[in-house]
Amino acid sequence: MIKTVNLQKLFTTEEVETTALNGINMEIQDGEFVAIMGPSGCGKSTLLNILGLLDNPSGGEYFFWDKEVARMSERQRAQLRKGSIGFVFQSFNLIDELTVFENVELPLLYLKVPSSERKQKVEAVLERMNIMHRRNHFPQQLSGGQQQRVAIARAVVAKPKMILADEPTGNLDSTNGEEVMKLLQELNDAGTTMVMVTHSPYDAGFAHRIINLFDGKVVTENIKEQFHV
Amino acid sequence: MFRNYLKIAWRNLHRSKAYALINITGLSAGMAVAMLIGLWIWDEVSYNKYHQHYDRIVQIMRQATFQGVTGTGQAVPIPLADYLRTHYGSDFKSVVTSSWTLENIIAAGDNKLTSTGIYMEPQAPEMLSLQMLEGSRKTALQDVNTILLSASLARSLFGGQPATGKIVKLNNKTDVRVSGVYADIPHNSSFSDLAFIAPFSQYLATSGDWAKHAVTDWNEYSFQMFAELNPQVDAQKVSGKIQSVIKDNSADESNPMLLLHPMRKWKLYSEFQNGINTGGDIRFVWLFGLIGVFVLLLGCINFMNLSTARAARRAREVGIRKAIGSAKEQLVGQFLSESLLVVAIGFCIALLLTMLFLPWFNNVADKQIALPWGSVSFWLLCAGFMLVTGVLAGSYPAFYLSAFQPVKVLKGTFRAGRFAAMPRKVLVIVQFAVSVILIIGTVIIFQQIQYTKHRAIGYSRDGLITIPMNTPDLFGHYDALQKDLQATGMVENMAESSSPTTQLFSRGGENMKWRGKREEEKILFGNIACTHDFGATIGWQILAGRDFSREYATDSSAMILNASAATVMGLKDPVGEKIQWGKHQYTVIGVVKDLLMESPFATAMPTVFRLNYDWANVITVKIKPGRDNRAALDKIAAVFKKYNPGSPFNYKFNDQEYGKKFMAEERIGKLAGCFAILAILISCLGIFGLASFTAEQRIKEIGVRKVLGATVLSIWALLSGDFLKLVFIAFLLAAPAAYYGMQHWLQQYEYRTPIHWWIFMATGGAALGITLTVVSYQAIKAAVINPVKSLRTE
Repeated sequence: MIKTVNLQKLFTTEEVETTALNGINMEIQDGEFVAIMGPSGCGKSTLLNILGLLDNPSGGEYFFWDKEVARMSERQRAQLRKGSIGFVFQSFNLIDELTVFENVELPLLYLKVPSSERKQKVEAVLERMNIMHRRNHFPQQLSGGQQQRVAIARAVVAKPKMILADEPTGNLDSTNGEEVMKLLQELNDAGTTMVMVTHSPYDAGFAHRIINLFDGKVVTENIKEQFHV
Repeated sequence: MFRNYLKIAWRNLHRSKAYALINITGLSAGMAVAMLIGLWIWDEVSYNKYHQHYDRIVQIMRQATFQGVTGTGQAVPIPLADYLRTHYGSDFKSVVTSSWTLENIIAAGDNKLTSTGIYMEPQAPEMLSLQMLEGSRKTALQDVNTILLSASLARSLFGGQPATGKIVKLNNKTDVRVSGVYADIPHNSSFSDLAFIAPFSQYLATSGDWAKHAVTDWNEYSFQMFAELNPQVDAQKVSGKIQSVIKDNSADESNPMLLLHPMRKWKLYSEFQNGINTGGDIRFVWLFGLIGVFVLLLGCINFMNLSTARAARRAREVGIRKAIGSAKEQLVGQFLSESLLVVAIGFCIALLLTMLFLPWFNNVADKQIALPWGSVSFWLLCAGFMLVTGVLAGSYPAFYLSAFQPVKVLKGTFRAGRFAAMPRKVLVIVQFAVSVILIIGTVIIFQQIQYTKHRAIGYSRDGLITIPMNTPDLFGHYDALQKDLQATGMVENMAESSSPTTQLFSRGGENMKWRGKREEEKILFGNIACTHDFGATIGWQILAGRDFSREYATDSSAMILNASAATVMGLKDPVGEKIQWGKHQYTVIGVVKDLLMESPFATAMPTVFRLNYDWANVITVKIKPGRDNRAALDKIAAVFKKYNPGSPFNYKFNDQEYGKKFMAEERIGKLAGCFAILAILISCLGIFGLASFTAEQRIKEIGVRKVLGATVLSIWALLSGDFLKLVFIAFLLAAPAAYYGMQHWLQQYEYRTPIHWWIFMATGGAALGITLTVVSYQAIKAAVINPVKSLRTE
């Protein structure tokens, strides 16, 4: 599903040039659950942003469903992102001015899904995430765990092929964290490819494979269990 | 999707009430000003459109050249009309000779009124497309002893009864039959003040011998002439064809040239300089149009600045939407729809404000504008106006916000770049520069008015009243009237003259001859006939020689010059000089200081005064100093009732009439002043909002500085200083622009105030003072926060 060849990312300011990714070669299969680990500043989030088509690499190649996407314009990336990739962030990133229902509905609006179908899909995913009773609440009225469930609901409502999660339990207590991880695992079991950046070895334990980064390079890959396509 | 945008916009407004209030207040004030000015411009440009043949009606004007300077005026001779009909009949559908608009006494039985009316040839009602309520346009002015009344005059005279066929008395001498009633001509027509129209033939029949001679006299320039061109006839071409008609038919040496002045230009392009149409009120259309756009822009700038200053708050949302799949255009659409929502709310308030302030505005601008609620084009224009304002205010924030990179903003580490605040600073500079220009402009306009009001006028206006002599009853009682008036104990003196002191009715003398005059020299003089007491009544100041005196029988051929006349004639010692005027020879007996009879902004016209008891149009009465005006007027009215029982006592105070000469300037000054105050208020609102965001943004910095020992004063100086710098730069840019603009504006006046440096200093100081006051509130609020608290909030 995903393949990177010698992926590079440089950040340049007036005086300093920082190499965030230094020749990443990796492949992720459809339906796989991959965790990316490493110390702060090793390039995990940068890699996730490039994989999520939020950013372009400075060099190398990136194939998304066999299509080279590394040089795409922002508009093309937005088009490709829409409906095929879902995002879950550490800080939830819900829109404060929208209710739970409206937040989850947002990706479907951008996909121009008709109103009745939208309602049906949003309600189904809210039921699944067990937050239907909170549908008319605003994010600030929810607990952290509930907010992250809303964020996951938003990430999956358009049935994307892949979910990218950036430290999804980072802002949660252990009970809520466990609950979120189980949800992600369920989604993966149902066929969604999962790429997760995490500091937590426990969370990484949910993945099929762990990629360890250090100074912008893949240092080790631990295959926890064999994954078959 | 649009609903989603509006929902977010509405909730955002609800959440940030202060921000919403500043934006909506600024925008609604700006939009209200723009709407008022828009309505005013619409009224100006649609002037005279009430007349169906608006695009074909012309006034026939005459140009004459004296001393190499060409003047353009409306006065033409009667024979011209027939000549045009005979020789250029294919160009003109109708040619209408007309009197000037005059005040007349009109009476139905005992019901006597003073009304403004005009005498015109029979084709006038058709040409002006009068809407007849009674009678027919075609025949209404055919009979000499008829009259057409406006609906309101007919109502005043006859109540609700039909007026046609009834008899009214004009000026206490002529019985005429009402031949029709026309709907009142609206305010934005050049003929709006006509309460009646009577046949021109009646005017000739009742105006004495001079009028009878005028019928065939090509040199008697005492009438107006209007015409309607045939369809598809080009006014400019006809102008060219007829230009030398007077010259070809008369011996006038002033090189009289005719030109057609189209009705569509009467209001906005009425001024001529040296024979060239140089515009007129159109400059006010541009000036106020520009002010309207600028004041609206100020409101839009607040929106831009506050929206981009709050960018950090919206950045995360932009990131989320982009991550989910929103394209940049969709985000631009979202932010534009937000600005449209704010503009729509602002528009509703602006509409209310416009309704509220329209009566005041009409009063100041001397208009009768009403909001055209029922007009589809009005609402379409409003929709367009909202759209343009929304796009104007919303485009920059929309493109700015939608350009955020999701990768950067989603980390929650959004930091605007070092130059992100630059456009905001530029916009604040623009706001204050516009405000400073408006304030300086207003101050200079009022200074020009004050400067001119204090100008020496050559006579004393105090206690002077003027009474028109528009009935025969007032003639022939000069001495008795004077004695009776003085006997009241209220009146110091009384005189009669051909012109009041505030107007010059007659010009002439271009053929006068005096010692040393060069043959080719053609000078046009103001020409005033007066009685012996004129000078004493108005208190003119004699510079040389003496006043007219009953002790000298020879004064019937005496002449008094004003100072300008003596100068222009090149007479070093004019007293005793002989002046030949036609068949008469006059002796100069005195020179008086220039009387300011026409525009107080221009130099006085060279003027000659002669004794003539038969050519009198007005009586001037001087009330004794210290007398109560009301009591004096009652007694004066009683005397006039005795001599003129058929007319209402009709008078004007000369100082009020003189004051009216400043009306146009005062109107501009008042409007510009109000707009300037609004401009500065809107700008202050914006800077208040910006200061609050800056204080909020720098709260951590302020905390750290305080921990390190900064005082409240130093933090106040730090925060306020940034804004003061911007206002100072604005002032530096605005001052030369205002100087240049006002210098240019003052050029139109011959008598003009110098531009004082202190106006600039005071305005700059005021702008800085106001800014400091507005910003200080936020700065001090931020400076007194406990640093423990501010560091914790970060």
